[in-house]
Amino acid sequence: MVPMLQPNVPLTHNEWAIDLANVDKVYKGKIHALRGIEMRVRRGEIFGLLGPNGAGKSTLVKILMTVISPTKADGLILGKPVGHKPTLARVGYLPEHHRFPEYLTGGQVLDFYGALCGVPAAVRKTRAAELLGLVGMSDWSKTRVKQYSKGMRQRIGIAQALMNDPDLVVLDEPTDGVDPVGRKEIRNVLAHIKDRGKTVFLNSHLLSELEMVCDRVAILVQGKVKSQGTIDELTVDQRRCEIEIAQPADAAHAVFAAALPAGTAMRELAPPTKPLAAQPLAVAPATGRDSELAPVRLIRGELASGQAFEIDRSTMRISTDDPALAMPVLDALRSRGIVIKSFKTVRPSLEDLFMEAVTDPTTGQALGPGAARETGKGAPK
Amino acid sequence: MIQTFALLVDAYRELNSKKLFWITMILSGVVVAAFAALGINENGLTLLWFEIGDFNGFLTSATLPPDQLYKSLFANFGITFWLSWIATILALVSTSSMIPDFIASGAIELTLSKPIARLRLFLTKFAVGLLFVGLQVLTFSAACFVVIGVRGGAWEPGVFLAVPIVLLFFSYLFAVCVLFGLLTRSTIASLLLTLLFWFLCFGINATEVLVLNGRESNVVLAESLEARIGRMEANTTKLLRTPPDDGTAETREPPTRAELESANPRIAEARTDLEKLRKNYQPWDTAAKVFVSVKTLLPKTGETVDLIDRWLVDEMNLGRTFGEDDDDSEAGSSGPAFARLSRADQQKVTKRLETIYKTRSVTWVIGTSIIFEFLILALSARIFTRRDF
Repeated sequence: MVPMLQPNVPLTHNEWAIDLANVDKVYKGKIHALRGIEMRVRRGEIFGLLGPNGAGKSTLVKILMTVISPTKADGLILGKPVGHKPTLARVGYLPEHHRFPEYLTGGQVLDFYGALCGVPAAVRKTRAAELLGLVGMSDWSKTRVKQYSKGMRQRIGIAQALMNDPDLVVLDEPTDGVDPVGRKEIRNVLAHIKDRGKTVFLNSHLLSELEMVCDRVAILVQGKVKSQGTIDELTVDQRRCEIEIAQPADAAHAVFAAALPAGTAMRELAPPTKPLAAQPLAVAPATGRDSELAPVRLIRGELASGQAFEIDRSTMRISTDDPALAMPVLDALRSRGIVIKSFKTVRPSLEDLFMEAVTDPTTGQALGPGAARETGKGAPK
Repeated sequence: MIQTFALLVDAYRELNSKKLFWITMILSGVVVAAFAALGINENGLTLLWFEIGDFNGFLTSATLPPDQLYKSLFANFGITFWLSWIATILALVSTSSMIPDFIASGAIELTLSKPIARLRLFLTKFAVGLLFVGLQVLTFSAACFVVIGVRGGAWEPGVFLAVPIVLLFFSYLFAVCVLFGLLTRSTIASLLLTLLFWFLCFGINATEVLVLNGRESNVVLAESLEARIGRMEANTTKLLRTPPDDGTAETREPPTRAELESANPRIAEARTDLEKLRKNYQPWDTAAKVFVSVKTLLPKTGETVDLIDRWLVDEMNLGRTFGEDDDDSEAGSSGPAFARLSRADQQKVTKRLETIYKTRSVTWVIGTSIIFEFLILALSARIFTRRDF
């Protein structure tokens, strides 16, 4: 299921920086890179695009920037149809693996690409100085790009993307090759851009980086948007309370089963084929609490209060982030004198979310990298 | 305008960084300086302050005035050799990387994502490449203009005709280079393929000259033979009409062909040769037509540059004629037609070839070449505007 954006107040076209529908791309070799992308990015937010290698992220970004023509695309960028060239004067772009002309200095790079955006010379001069300061490259403005480190090139690249004072900034792997200090500075730059009311569209593999800065994310898998929304929206099904008891793993499930309050439905399951943390806790059909539990390694069930739970060795996970709802279980365990080793509420990380999105629910295996061939075996439907 | 100017400045920086632009400029300067260093006076040729000699009185200011010397050097060496070959190769080397570098992964995304239409971007890039070559030709021509004026005492604005002509000639090759650059994405491959294409055009042109030479030699030889047969027939007729010594009346009937050939067997031999020549004409003519057709489809690199000769020779009163320096050896007695020509016949052939080339209209020479260039550019533009980078 793809959680679709459900804004409280309906947004008009003008309130979307990017509003895509039915974006398809089939390359000449019959590679079906994108399959009906639906995506919306609000103005003024930082939006992250995630996905494994070959999921179609770069293809999508290149379509937005008119580097690649889509096979089919409905939708708008800053209120204009995708592919509308004049709109790009309001868009800044840093491509992945960008290559600036090596005969230019950092200052000349900013001036050249600013000029290509139609920015007048006087404005370019002032803005270049400001942006070089913003990305910490003022002292290197007169040095040729070929002498720059990768991190320095990234910084100049970000400055270049801002030369036209864009309303939308599309950054493809902006922290690629940048050290931790540089990454923090880039995060600050992104915050600065957002504070000025601009929209940032980020494509990155660094999930922790995205988690820190993004208001919303979309996960692209095999050319389709698997999920999109705020991280809270996307993890709502996976937030849980975890209770760990001081019992040997083999015996713990029996202890839990005996201590659970009346009205608890449970059933034993086969061992999981993918990380439990990446699975929403589903409610299992009730089979009664008197099942034979001895060899069971995983138990799933539903509390009397309606919360799904699972018991995995000495840990019990309850599908709620409200500790009050876990209290009856804690009380039951304590009344039996069972030592509670830990109790915590857990919100899945973006990485958990990502791993879930790229894992085949039926096989538990990671989905194959790359876009699918149109006629190839195993093409995603 | 801001964007076009930015591309222009960028192209200058790119060429400047490669040094080749300046190397070509310096070499052009050296060539012009060498022109200027040469001189001629009543004692013969001079190099700076040194007298080289008068080559047995053939080269003095009396036989070749200074202005004619410099104009000849400009037309025969400056344009035909320097601008048409060396400078063009250097220009191709300088500019052949423009498109492959432009469309390189990581660079093209930055440019295409700017608010410029792809077609405009492509055509601007092409025009900028030509502009810098134009700049080089203009500088060379201006320097030559000054040398001819100062050293030769004749101010000839006609030398600036070289600028549009050489630029046009280079544009044919540059269009091909751009296409190969787009297709191969490789500087070396595009340069080599362009040079190959250029040599192909050159080869076709040279072969056409040979074929035309063969055909016209055949015609001239046939005409010459016909005249010879006529002379032999007249002489034989005269002999046959001589009154006999016995005082009988002179016959008034002209001798028949059989009588003539019987009286002079060389007439029959000459007729046989003439038949052979006439028979040989058709294949030469067919081959010439094929080459003209092929050339119509291709850019006329050689003939475009020859337009400068065509115009400048008249404009600057150089008195240079087509093929003046061609072989003037004595006629042979065997081999192909053009190898059996007397010197007079060779001059006739040269004149006929000159007429053929001069009667080829400028519209045909430039027009068909521009059509070729336009088609190549249109194909390149289509590839560039539709490609997914």
